[in-house]
Amino acid sequence: MDRQPSPLWTHATTKLRNTGTWRSAMPEYRTSLSPCLGACPVNGRIAEWIGLLKSGDVKGAWLTLVDNNPFPAIAGRICHHPCEAVCNRQQMDGAVSICSLERHVGDIAMSEGWSLPEPEAVGKKSVAIVGGGPAGLSAAYQLRRLGIKVTLFEQHQQLGGLLRHGIPSYRLDKNIVDCEIGRIIDMGVEVELCAEVGDHHALQKLHDEFDAVYLATGASRPKALPVLDYSKSWVIDSAEFLTVTNAGEPCRLGQNLVVIGGGSAAMDVARTARRLGRSVKLISLEPEHLLPAQKAEVDEAIEEGVEFVTGAEMQSISKDGDSLILECMRIKFNPGEERGRFTIDPVPGSEFQLRADAIISSIGQDADISRWQSLLDNDGTVVNTDNLWQTSTKGIFAGGDVASMDRFVTQAVGMGKQAAAEIGRYLGQLPSGETGANTSQTGFSDINTHYFPPAAPNQQANLEVEDRLQNFNEVQLPLAEDKALAEASRCFSCGSCIYCDNCYLYCPDMAITKLQRGYEVISDYCKGCGLCVAECPTGSVVMLEDRQG
Amino acid sequence: MDMIDYPDGEQFSPGHVACAGCAEALSLRVILNTIGPDAIGVVPPSCTAVICGGYPLSSVSIPVQHTTLENAAASASGIKRSLNAMGKPDTTVVCLAGDGGTYDIGLQALSSAAERNEDILYVCFDNEGYMNTGGQKSSSTPLNAITGSTPAGKLSRKKNLVEILAAHRIPYIATCSPAHLSDMSAKIKKAESIRGTKVIIVIIPCLPGWGVADDAAVKTARMAVDSGVFPLYEVEDGVDYTMTINTRNQAVNAYLKQQKRFRHLSDADISDIQADVDWGWEYLLDRAGK
Ligand SMILES: Cc1cc2nc3c(=O)[nH]c(=O)nc-3n(C[C@H](O)[C@H](O)[C@H](O)COP(=O)(O)OP(=O)(O)OC[C@H]3O[C@@H](n4cnc5c(N)ncnc54)[C@H](O)[C@@H]3O)c2cc1C
Ligand SMILES: Cc1ncc(C[n+]2csc(CCOP(=O)(O)OP(=O)(O)O)c2C)c(N)n1
Ligand code: SF4
Ligand code: SF4
Ligand code: SF4
Ligand SMILES: [Mg+2]
Repeated sequence: MDRQPSPLWTHATTKLRNTGTWRSAMPEYRTSLSPCLGACPVNGRIAEWIGLLKSGDVKGAWLTLVDNNPFPAIAGRICHHPCEAVCNRQQMDGAVSICSLERHVGDIAMSEGWSLPEPEAVGKKSVAIVGGGPAGLSAAYQLRRLGIKVTLFEQHQQLGGLLRHGIPSYRLDKNIVDCEIGRIIDMGVEVELCAEVGDHHALQKLHDEFDAVYLATGASRPKALPVLDYSKSWVIDSAEFLTVTNAGEPCRLGQNLVVIGGGSAAMDVARTARRLGRSVKLISLEPEHLLPAQKAEVDEAIEEGVEFVTGAEMQSISKDGDSLILECMRIKFNPGEERGRFTIDPVPGSEFQLRADAIISSIGQDADISRWQSLLDNDGTVVNTDNLWQTSTKGIFAGGDVASMDRFVTQAVGMGKQAAAEIGRYLGQLPSGETGANTSQTGFSDINTHYFPPAAPNQQANLEVEDRLQNFNEVQLPLAEDKALAEASRCFSCGSCIYCDNCYLYCPDMAITKLQRGYEVISDYCKGCGLCVAECPTGSVVMLEDRQG
Repeated sequence: MDMIDYPDGEQFSPGHVACAGCAEALSLRVILNTIGPDAIGVVPPSCTAVICGGYPLSSVSIPVQHTTLENAAASASGIKRSLNAMGKPDTTVVCLAGDGGTYDIGLQALSSAAERNEDILYVCFDNEGYMNTGGQKSSSTPLNAITGSTPAGKLSRKKNLVEILAAHRIPYIATCSPAHLSDMSAKIKKAESIRGTKVIIVIIPCLPGWGVADDAAVKTARMAVDSGVFPLYEVEDGVDYTMTINTRNQAVNAYLKQQKRFRHLSDADISDIQADVDWGWEYLLDRAGK
């Protein structure tokens, strides 16, 4: 049947009609920040790399990770993961196990032998980095990517800082440290080992020879307890104890040990001593629920037989033959307004004694700031920097534990990254001025949870307690492949388009077109209903008041 | 997350005059694109008639006959028989009608076509009222809902059209929702593969008629399904019941609360509705042998 134009038949499509004039608001596609990204110390694009992992592109996920942090396998084991504390999925059925997924990707990269992307060729500018811990290595990596010649000075025989000498192998296997550091060196970073930069003269010399200097010497001076005589053979500081034990050298301390301190380092000391067959008591001023160590560390230490004596203070020591008698007292701990500003009140009549063969003091580390004194200002605790990590001497930058009290590995990595960008700008390798940073954040209410069926978190298991105390094998077991994928699919991809086509297909007005990658709203037809926004699982489309004339 | 899966194409054009956010336009997009170009539409007066037409423009690519409110199924029967006579038995004839034109005014024609098992596909966009004429009640309007002609709430319950049609023993009856687009497309395809009278009822939350937000039609339809108020199921040959989704995950409360037409309900009214929905759900599960 031929459709002859006749008065009975319609003869054109409604495409001629501009229904766009109806609307008062129009959708806009935008990538906005996921809360996890906001909390991540290296600003890792978490929604993006988990999205790639979900889609089966593990290499893409890894490349996205190493853009901000060259240590995914390390961070995936020991990061304090503030990202998980703010994860939107927490408001539904538990945070995404971001850290375990990072380890999953990092481990695959190691077993596949992936190397970091080829950096730019080395140009004329040169930077000296002092200190081969996470801050120094992160800066070295980012500077080298910018085509800058990097020379790293490290006082020890090996790189890694506290990754190697502090954190015990049962939490971070040293093969992992070797592998992830090795990749950075393979990019063409020059390394000078056993090269202590001893004082401000030596630092000044580097400042003269290089275009810029980055100071990342960490915090290596143990804080001392006044009641302890550190010259005695039965007293040792945690840093020395961990350096020795991490190097696999024998421990000469007796059978019954007392660890003083309640932070992460104290847990590491106590648990290391348990693995060396020692009986361990741990004394802390704080009651158990206020211990500065993370809860999981405390729980694991208890599982491993560390005996906690919390809310107590050691007041003096006497000797009884070869054995020590520690005179202790119960105290009331008042945490105070700010961290570290606590006070204590002894509880009268609560005296008690502990017996031990040796004492390991683990009450924290100070940055060695006095040796830079005439060159770099300090605040009595750390080297002073402005918010771009520039010290009081132009051209010398600092970061990590030497310049900050945010003492975590990924904080140090993030600081190294930021300083590298600033040094890049200082040397004219990067355009100056901040790029217009996107600050909008995707909240839980922006997610259409209908598209994410309830699913409990997939968490890493730990080695059985019996199997832990015989050796230094890693306690945390990896997530199995299927568990990792299930966990990745729990991520809402907050503010990050997953190209699901929902916005496109739910539009009643065919007012969205697909681009090569992404979508575009057709202004002629969009009536501004907001269905595309409501049915976007990830919060990647928002309604904005219309700017049409 | 499962991706929506249907062959989107050019069978339905933008520039139509459905309200912003209309789930009926959204459903037409899926249905027309699933059926494809080899089809003739029959549309009685209804929102669909407004959306498709507006002489001299048309939003649909297939030819459509605008018929009267009483006789969509009769017109479709005639067109189908003519096509058969012309040697074009494969062309789909599809009625696109409202609930007023189906449950009420066109029921006689539909019943007769079903009784003769005419080879037509009949889609009813069930927005539970006479909506393009300003929102009067139909026999599909649920108990207690406020409409222009039931200002204190409707006094009788919603007519069960599926059971009426099942009693005709037609080969295929199914319910669909605009929150389940892949399923809608699959059911249309399945219906097209069957000879005889096929009826598909699509729940359409009418934005002004039900009093829901412009961006909430899909969400409302999803809640209707998730609460069991509008279960998704199929009936084959009038006797074989199959649940498309055989779990419910929410009470009726939230569904009712977000619609202005139910805002006056007391807690006692809501628990009566809950009890009725529970009973209907169990009855369906029982019929489906689940
Ligand atoms: C026992 C322990 C456990 C910890 N566990 C965790 C954990 O689980 N998770 C976490 O996030 N954080 C943990 N931390 C904190 C974390 O290790 C540090 O915040 C982080 O390593 C700081 O990095 P950095 O690069 O600033 O310093 P460092 O890691 O201390 O590295 C400094 C480097 O500089 C070198 N150096 C110092 N002075 C000189 C000099 N004058 N010349 C040349 N080289 C020099 C040092 O030898 C060292 O290699 C732990 C700390 C300790 C002590
Ligand atoms: C016999 C007859 N009575 C009344 C009308 C006026 N009329 C046109 S459309 C309509 C409402 C139809 O309601 P429904 O079928 O539910 O479609 P909706 O508008 O809700 O999509 C009415 C009453 C008519 N066209 N014919
Ligand atoms: S759901 Fe995914 S993107 Fe959103 S906060 Fe959690 S980890 Fe980040
Ligand atoms: S669904 Fe379509 S019409 Fe509605 S706001 Fe989005 S683009 Fe516009
Ligand atoms: S609906 Fe899907 S495709 Fe559209 S913006 Fe959201 S995530 Fe991207
Ligand atoms: Mg109607």
